[in-house]
Amino acid sequence: MTTTTGRPPVRAPARPPRRAGQRSSLNGRDRTFGFMLAAPAVALFIAVAVYPLVSSLGTSLFDQSLIRPGRSFVGLRNYAEVWPDFVDRLGTTLVFSVLATVLPLLLGTGIALLLNARIKGRAVLRGVLMLPWLLPGVVVSFLWAWIFNDSYGVLNHVLSQLGLPEVDFLGAPGTALAAVIIAKSWNTFPWMMVVVLAVLQTLPREQLEAAAIDGASRRQRFWHVSLPHLIGPVALVTMLEFIYNFGSFDMIFVMTGGGPGTSTMTLAVSIYQYAFVEFSLGRAAAMGVLWLVALSVVCAAYFLLNKRLEARR
Amino acid sequence: MSIVPFPPARRRSRHVGEGITRPTLGVLGKLGLSVLGLFGLLPVYWLVATAFMRREDVFSKDRPFFPFNPTLDNFGAFFEDTALLSALGNSVIVSAGTAAVSVLVSGLMAYSLSKFRYRGRNLFMVMFLVGQLVPGVLLLVSLYLMFSAAGLLYTYTAVVLAFTTFTLPLTVFLLKGIIDGLPDEIIEAGKVDGLSNLAILFRIIFPLITPGLVTAGMFAFMRGWSDLLFALTLAGPDKQTLPVGMTSAFIHEGSGDWPALMAASVITSLPLALIFIALQRYFVSGLAAGAVKG
Repeated sequence: MTTTTGRPPVRAPARPPRRAGQRSSLNGRDRTFGFMLAAPAVALFIAVAVYPLVSSLGTSLFDQSLIRPGRSFVGLRNYAEVWPDFVDRLGTTLVFSVLATVLPLLLGTGIALLLNARIKGRAVLRGVLMLPWLLPGVVVSFLWAWIFNDSYGVLNHVLSQLGLPEVDFLGAPGTALAAVIIAKSWNTFPWMMVVVLAVLQTLPREQLEAAAIDGASRRQRFWHVSLPHLIGPVALVTMLEFIYNFGSFDMIFVMTGGGPGTSTMTLAVSIYQYAFVEFSLGRAAAMGVLWLVALSVVCAAYFLLNKRLEARR
Repeated sequence: MSIVPFPPARRRSRHVGEGITRPTLGVLGKLGLSVLGLFGLLPVYWLVATAFMRREDVFSKDRPFFPFNPTLDNFGAFFEDTALLSALGNSVIVSAGTAAVSVLVSGLMAYSLSKFRYRGRNLFMVMFLVGQLVPGVLLLVSLYLMFSAAGLLYTYTAVVLAFTTFTLPLTVFLLKGIIDGLPDEIIEAGKVDGLSNLAILFRIIFPLITPGLVTAGMFAFMRGWSDLLFALTLAGPDKQTLPVGMTSAFIHEGSGDWPALMAASVITSLPLALIFIALQRYFVSGLAAGAVKG
């Protein structure tokens, strides 16, 4: 899921309060009916998400091409062949996902804190600031490719007006990744903004007021009352955003296609490249499996670190 | 009607101590907000402004920052381009299909998860929650092979099935939250009246949660409308959607006609903006609150 709009928030399966005897009216036949209702969704999910995930394990062991039929078993050869690429692309992917997560987080939190103040037209401003998140990833990519354009882009126009040298942002290996990260951060900061704003609006008013009466300064109130409430939800959303970015495809594909050279080639773009440019499905699948292993390691590290931090607290 | 999917907006009235929970902004704060706000809005302005500019202005030495001689030519070019028009048609078909299938399938599932207790229910919920973290690119190869073997490659069906699967986690939990708010007595009353299980669902539950179903459908529509990856690989040349059509035109022609590309971008974004205006309440309060609770 690399679409940047319509990002699914993870909603808690909120459990309704269960009163004693509440479900007494549901007999065995009703349960079967309930199960049947879930069947289409579950079947679809297994067929289109779970099964493909598992079957790519199998594909990764075969030499299989997109353009000719048949396949031959090659064991782990695909893995050996993609390993050097994987190591290289993992680095790029990590740089991209860390920065494209941290920048929107800082930006979104900053705007949310400012928007939480009493200002005129706050609701309108909040709504309008959602626009970057709303645009399809492809549109965001075109827009920023146009802004960063070397000969006609508005950014270079401004630079030259200021007497500064013009830069080929997307054409130079040093700046291309930075340019995509900026575009991606622009695309997702509204989401962080909305989350932080939502938490800020549920802060315990009494605690803030009590702290103020006790003489706590604005900064102290933020550090000791607001921040502890913010950390949990923000950490969760940050983690999710990191996972999405780790598999993000559309903006890098459109803006740079992985280039120049392989300077913006992330794992996701690399998998596409293997499958649909080099037609090597086996290697693409092997890269996908390595992708999954890498993400699992990162997630495990996050949880261990989190646990240790919590234990220390 | 008592069916309010999300908590209503906070009271607007002032209260004692509002200056503490909601302070006024100082000069620095206002300055910071303006700078950040401009970072958010200037690119959008540039998107729309370029779409209305004449080609010769955009590519001239003294490029204006404002379309002094606005033109509709760029939009006209979009509607004369048969490839883009057919992509627009495909987008409408595929997104509407995704919305329809998503609403039906996730409506059934949400009712099931909300009001029935059976073995496997928790497993289903965990599967959907975890499943939405799997990126599409990881399933790409297998999906391609699978749809190819089933003869569904390069059909609307393949694209709609792929989109729907990835909207399900969102729409299911959205609708489940709403159905959780319906009292069980409604179902029991239906039973007393002698309605079948299906009749209760379609004649009582669904009509009661129509706003929620519409919201879920719109989210699914937006997902289908914006996706690039699946449309790029599973839809083929004839069924490609707008993001794919624009991307292939853009990549093949290189840095060509930027005003036309921006106009096409505006047209592509417009339906989403309209849906957003309709759903703003749900986006901003409900979804964020849901994400935070998760």
